[in-house]
Amino acid sequence: MSDVPDRLNIDKKDRDLYNKLDQEEILRFKGGKRTRKEQFLLALSFGLKNNVSKPLNAKEGWFLTKDLNEEDKAILNSIALYNTKSVEVLNRKSEVFKIAEEYAHAGIRLLFDLMNSVQFGSFNKRLELDVINNFNKLSLNDVNE
Amino acid sequence: MRIDNIRLLNYRQFRDVEISFTSQKKHDLHLIIGKNGSGKTNFLNALNWCLYGDEPHLSIQSKLLPLLNLNAISSAEEGADINVEVEVRFVKEQVYICFVRKAIFKIFKSEDFPVHQSTEFEATISAEDMNSKILNEEEAKIQLERFIPSGIRDYFFFDGERLDNYFKEAKGQNIRDAIITISQIELLESKIEPRLDDILKELRRAAGRMNPKLDNTTQLLEEAKDRYKNLKKEIQGCHKEIAISKKGMENCDRNLKGVPDIERIEQELHQLRADKKHTKEFIKEYIGKKANILFDSSICVQLAPSFQYSLQVVKEKRINKEIPPPASPVLLESSLKNNQCTICARELDSNAKNHVEEMLQEIKLSSEIANQLINIEYPLKNCLDRLKHNLKELHELTRSIDSKEKELDKIEERMDQIEKILKQCNVENVRKWFEQRKGYEEEHGKKQRQLGVLEERQKKLQEKIAELENEFNEEMKKEVKNKELSKQINFCKKSLEIVTKTKEVIMHETKKKIESKTKDLFFELIWKKETFADIEISDDFDINLIHFMGYSCLGSISAAERELLALSFTLALHDVSGFESPIIIDTPVARVSDENRENLGKVFSNVSKDKQTILLFTPSEYSDDISKEIERIRSNKYVFNLSAAENEVVLKEEKYV
Repeated sequence: MSDVPDRLNIDKKDRDLYNKLDQEEILRFKGGKRTRKEQFLLALSFGLKNNVSKPLNAKEGWFLTKDLNEEDKAILNSIALYNTKSVEVLNRKSEVFKIAEEYAHAGIRLLFDLMNSVQFGSFNKRLELDVINNFNKLSLNDVNE
Repeated sequence: MRIDNIRLLNYRQFRDVEISFTSQKKHDLHLIIGKNGSGKTNFLNALNWCLYGDEPHLSIQSKLLPLLNLNAISSAEEGADINVEVEVRFVKEQVYICFVRKAIFKIFKSEDFPVHQSTEFEATISAEDMNSKILNEEEAKIQLERFIPSGIRDYFFFDGERLDNYFKEAKGQNIRDAIITISQIELLESKIEPRLDDILKELRRAAGRMNPKLDNTTQLLEEAKDRYKNLKKEIQGCHKEIAISKKGMENCDRNLKGVPDIERIEQELHQLRADKKHTKEFIKEYIGKKANILFDSSICVQLAPSFQYSLQVVKEKRINKEIPPPASPVLLESSLKNNQCTICARELDSNAKNHVEEMLQEIKLSSEIANQLINIEYPLKNCLDRLKHNLKELHELTRSIDSKEKELDKIEERMDQIEKILKQCNVENVRKWFEQRKGYEEEHGKKQRQLGVLEERQKKLQEKIAELENEFNEEMKKEVKNKELSKQINFCKKSLEIVTKTKEVIMHETKKKIESKTKDLFFELIWKKETFADIEISDDFDINLIHFMGYSCLGSISAAERELLALSFTLALHDVSGFESPIIIDTPVARVSDENRENLGKVFSNVSKDKQTILLFTPSEYSDDISKEIERIRSNKYVFNLSAAENEVVLKEEKYV
């Protein structure tokens, strides 16, 4: 038996927060707009951006690792590498996933708070503004050439 | 000739009313004021009933009621005979002519309506210095025809609504008939001309009986002439229908003046609705696209530092040769196997072959970690590339959405404008007018084409008739025995030509006189002296008012101007006909706006200097605008009120203060 987990988890308490993301069209799971994996990745990105991660108290399987494509896998590896600053982590898949889960656990709360902090109908605008601001802070030419 | 007195006995809502029209001033102007339903129009009907035996202005409500006064019926005993009597007394130079029409009804309580027994019509001529002369029905009718011929009474007693409608219907034929009546050429038209034609036919037939060839030509000639007559009638009918459709178009144009083209506007609205739907769908689609990009970008941009860090690690490891170069082992193996570069197809020399073998070795020997690092390199670079591209696309999409939203605002603004326009006008009526106009236009075109065909046929038939007549004449010349008959035929033909020519000349002269007089009167009375240039009565007897810019403007003038034109034409008819009868107009300013009432007041004031004028107003029509002109010059003024039971007119005369 491989020790590689077959699923990625969230904290059980986060399920309600994920369900509440349906309030915003852009984040909605119902109706097939977004997948659980996509919601998870967004939450994860919020956690990483704000450099907060939190261990899960009670796990709940959220989606299967077979749903991860090459890009998703690269993203999760990249986050683990960034978090540990050690390439060795790439050989430990369960740790890679754990790091992602902990960032997502912290990030979903941040995402939910952001969603509630803005006026109805202006979430997308806020998101757009943040994307532009964050993009402007990046120097994308260094590594990407 | 003026009306001196009218007495109405048991006629509709008039139980026993006597109205005198005494001219006390230089203006022979009299007023009757009454609310709607008080009996003004029935007063006009009473005049017509007395003089001509009919009631042309009867309302639908009055048609349901008996001629006999309701109070007279209810107070009558069973089986009693009750009279309805209207007496109109005219006066001219101390000679009185009194026309009386009397209808006798028997009352049976079992019947809904009184039963008509008989009607009598007679006239009495009297003067101070002569014995009264009573005229029986036929004599009275002849006498009346000398004052106001029944054929043109419409030009003497009419209501204001009709004044406004005067030129709305095709009046050409009616005006032609009126001109025939006042030219007094009816005898030529209806008696002499047909009789001469019959005699000519008989003479030709007589000639035909003596010579078979002449007989054949006569038959062909008669057939051709019959066909010609029918064709002429068809052409006249065609002209009439063309005139009707032309007037119809003018009426519609008048109604539609300043009114938006509903059909076009509704088409525009329909298009705008489709555009709105399309634009909304476009915006929705772009917002959806933008949301997807935003979602993806949000993840990428927040994770970008980790991507950059990871790519830096990969880069360093590659520099330190800790990970193999980025190449596919499959491609390398294929190149070695074929001794040729799989990408550029160049043959591998020994150096290249060694290099490829080394690369392949390096890849095969790399660690699991190195492989992981290789595997993250491309997807992460792709994420960052996509992020850059996404930012550009976000900008483009935002611009497109903004532009489409502005477009949507404009569409909605125009839709609001159109809906306001549609609310302001009576869409049903406007649509009806547009449809009517279209119908008239089609009919006009159709009849014009038909007329062209008929006129062509008429021309050919004329040539055929001339040819046959020529043939007939040539043959007659050969007939030495029939010289007398030939003379008679020629005489008859010439007489017919003279009659026809005379008729045409008189008609033309009369028409010219009426045209000239109408022009004089109209330009004397019109308040806009510079606007109009001329008045023409066409060959089809249609009246055209020419604007100073040169175009026919009858369809676009105001109701007051149209009424003045009708009045001028009527007065011209009076003048040219020599019938010095009064003019009686019910609701003369019904369609006239307030500012023009004053103008019309002045017109009536002028007209009443030479002609007895009786005007019937409702109290609201007799507003300050018109009363300030009329009140100081008028002679009699009567007010019609209804009794408490509202079935009888109570007359009150108002003296001038």
